[in-house]
Amino acid sequence: MAIPAYYVTVGIVTGIYIILALSLNIITGFAGQPNLGHAAFFGIGAYTLAILTTQFGMSFWLALLAAAVASGAVGSILGLISLRVREDFLAITTIGINFVVVSIFLYHPFFGQAFGIGGIPAPSLFGVAFGRTGFLALVAAAVLLVVWVSRRIEGSWFGLALESLREDEAAAEAAGIDTRRFKVIAFTLGTALAGLAGGIYASFMTFISPGDFTFPLSITILCMAVVGGLGTIRGPVAGAVILSLAPEIFRFVMDYRLLVYGGLLVLMMRVQPTGLLGRDSVLVRRWQRLIAHRRRPLSAS
Amino acid sequence: MSRGLLLVLAILISVTAAAGPALAAETIKIGFFAPLTGPAAADGKSVMQAAQLAVDEINARGGAAGKPVELVAYDDRFDPREAVAIANKLIEQDRVVAVVSGSYSGPTRAVAPIFQRAGIPMISAYGVHPDITLAGDYIFQQSFIGPVQGKAGAEVAVKLLNARNIVSLVMDNDFGRSLGKAFREHAESLGATVHEELFPFGEKEFTPILARIRGMNPDLIYTTGYFMEAALTVKQARELGITAQILGTEGADSFQFPEIAGDAAEGVVITTNLNRDDERPIARRFMELYRARFGHEPDMVAASTYDAFIILAMAIDKAGTDPRAIRDAIAETRNFEGVTGLIAGYTEVGEVLKSVQVQQFRDGRYRFLAVIDDIDLITPPQ
Amino acid sequence: MLAQQFVSGIVIGGVYALIAMGLTLVYGVLRILHVAHAAVYATGAYVGLITFQRTDNLWLGLAAAAVFCGLFGVMIHRFVYGPLLDQPRIVPLIASIGLFIFSQDFLRLLFGPYAMSFPASVPFGLLELGDAVIPGRQVFILAVTAVLLALTWYVVGRTRLGLAWTAVSQDAETAVAMGVNVPRVVAFNFLFGSSIAAIAGILVGMHYNSVYPAMGEMPAYKMLAVVVLGGLGSVPGTVVAAFLLGLVETLLVGFAGFVLPRDAIAFVALIAILLLRPEGLFGRSDA
Repeated sequence: MAIPAYYVTVGIVTGIYIILALSLNIITGFAGQPNLGHAAFFGIGAYTLAILTTQFGMSFWLALLAAAVASGAVGSILGLISLRVREDFLAITTIGINFVVVSIFLYHPFFGQAFGIGGIPAPSLFGVAFGRTGFLALVAAAVLLVVWVSRRIEGSWFGLALESLREDEAAAEAAGIDTRRFKVIAFTLGTALAGLAGGIYASFMTFISPGDFTFPLSITILCMAVVGGLGTIRGPVAGAVILSLAPEIFRFVMDYRLLVYGGLLVLMMRVQPTGLLGRDSVLVRRWQRLIAHRRRPLSAS
Repeated sequence: MSRGLLLVLAILISVTAAAGPALAAETIKIGFFAPLTGPAAADGKSVMQAAQLAVDEINARGGAAGKPVELVAYDDRFDPREAVAIANKLIEQDRVVAVVSGSYSGPTRAVAPIFQRAGIPMISAYGVHPDITLAGDYIFQQSFIGPVQGKAGAEVAVKLLNARNIVSLVMDNDFGRSLGKAFREHAESLGATVHEELFPFGEKEFTPILARIRGMNPDLIYTTGYFMEAALTVKQARELGITAQILGTEGADSFQFPEIAGDAAEGVVITTNLNRDDERPIARRFMELYRARFGHEPDMVAASTYDAFIILAMAIDKAGTDPRAIRDAIAETRNFEGVTGLIAGYTEVGEVLKSVQVQQFRDGRYRFLAVIDDIDLITPPQ
Repeated sequence: MLAQQFVSGIVIGGVYALIAMGLTLVYGVLRILHVAHAAVYATGAYVGLITFQRTDNLWLGLAAAAVFCGLFGVMIHRFVYGPLLDQPRIVPLIASIGLFIFSQDFLRLLFGPYAMSFPASVPFGLLELGDAVIPGRQVFILAVTAVLLALTWYVVGRTRLGLAWTAVSQDAETAVAMGVNVPRVVAFNFLFGSSIAAIAGILVGMHYNSVYPAMGEMPAYKMLAVVVLGGLGSVPGTVVAAFLLGLVETLLVGFAGFVLPRDAIAFVALIAILLLRPEGLFGRSDA
């Protein structure tokens, strides 16, 4: 197995971004609730795993589960807040949560302050520690898990409820849907999956510090989901792949990378506001037409 | 205008990038990464310029081990995730023989284990985190770690400046915290009282804190801020009529410090590694070349980066292109005359042993005040 | 000491108010979280500084920045937000973030990453109020802030355009039915809000004697907190929230030190207040 480590590393980082974009999609895409502080939950997962493995000697797998639970628990509190504080007020509140969580990591000695936490162990299975390829497999499995969860949501009663919640909350309530419960579940689930990504990230990097989970990362994740197409599954996946590879691809224009990135975001929103692969996007419509064309002659004959 | 210009530049850069591999056979590649864009872009620019200057110098003198040196530089945006990808790219695709980190402690600490595992030596130009070199024997640090400089600061404050009643302003990042802790411990052991105040990295408004400490009548204020925080502390303190001596760190060693602090910069003392009054030819030459080529004063991150490259070139001269041999040659460095003073060598774990310069800002620039070369003080704690 | 803290809190609060004003004006009529407003602010500081360096005239710098950024604001609306108004609210937000990243990096490429000083002298001397010392520069900033806030109060409360703005922000459909020229109101909005932000950029640049590409980073998101505290789209609410935040931050730091970074303090206050009053301090509960 000789995939160069560079590609494996880029693959792992991209995979983590896919999980983050998809988990945000459950909250923002499916349930239509703004969340500009997703990096905080990624961070809560990462710190939970880091502390449990380095200070309490817990095994990676148990700690990973704890990371998801801890993150989901804090996320459910945000879900409860979302019942009272709405729309743009909620959006700004989530920014606030990101700032506050990072500050706690930075100021409380328990979280290692600015020095962060180092020496986070790699997972092992049957006594064999994971190398890079092992991590790639782990990330791939996690991506599949998140895709599966997303599909289940999309096709279920819960998904339909969320969709009606997104389209018109008042109407959904009138139709007898318990929007409050679904909102809290969406927040809990989405943040728990972000916590899972955080746990894997902490172990992969072996060292984390508060700066890894700041607000700009939340923005990056949101951009991925929106550029790809909120509310679908393929969209956030595509967005995460494109935007996490973009800085690598544009490495040759070194000094202009951020400029290109920012310009790309504006351009995307102007040209394709529903996302590259969102509902009604040009690409998706073309593809559907192509499929339809192919089928027609068959059914005619 | 800009779009056309950008396009031309993009093409130019990609052409040069494409031409790179063609030359690969005859050149020795040294990897480099720095925060060229993003929040730390100012330091990124300084170290990038120093790296180019160093590599041009090395090549003008006939390269290293008889071959021209090629600089392979990447932008890490001050993001450890990017740095990790860059590290693997440098190792596998660019096949560099050694690496200089021109980045902060965070990204440097994230990549240190990767270079260690790959057996590629890395010199961190100005990282301060003690954990960086703990990754293993291939990792070296060119600037003194936080505890050394903090201790030196306390020595300056208490013994040189006779301070007894000290207020220490500690920045909340790893740089500030590690210097602040060492400063306080050593100053207290020398008999001074230290009152500590924490402030966030990037803070610009110090009057609330300064107004409070004005009542304490300190005879010295120690700040671990970078140039922006330190300059604004000094400026705002003077505006409030605080006359206490102000002592800074290498964080304030930048031409931007007096630019922002204005007249208030006068009299400020710092601990750093670049002596502006250094008469040794290597230091004079570096400062003159840098000024002439880039149009501004070199700062300590630039000087440290330059030294890292020169030491690496010497190691390659001595050892050839085998990374293992280069590592050994770096470790064997003894009494090297660098821009940042006499480098006695590296400790067992790879921390540099060099004297701490004490500079004072007088008549428009930093000038020599003292030097700390007591080996007990400058040896990093294990 | 209390007086000193109070003065510096007022200075900071005033600057917050100026930056946040543009955001409130935009939010009032378009319901967009205008993150790129911070790029307008940073651009204003640069235009002001460059003009000042060339002409040695601060007033000219203020005027040039106000005009340039006013037009910049109008262009942002014309080419970025205008075409996106029918889209879900998140679309203009992402476009705004993209524009902010783009503009900030454009400033870096144009002027370099290093901080530049803003050595303008002001027509005021040191002011001593009992215990407190107020440098002339701060007196100047307070004076300009007061003039601009009075101007805003006049424009929003007394002119036809201001009344039209109020009408649109309260009920856009009725406003249109009553014959308000909405595009004109919106364009004016961006012109006015962006000019004020540009002047705020210059004031901050002078206050800290530094202008640098990333100076918009702080206001980009923190000012959203101010606007929300003020009740999203309420002009007096924004002003009160800005001064309140400036004072709370300063007094807290002045008496207790940094228990948390300044921005986190702002957001803790925000979350606490929103939990008690989900529509902000001055929001209408029907909004």
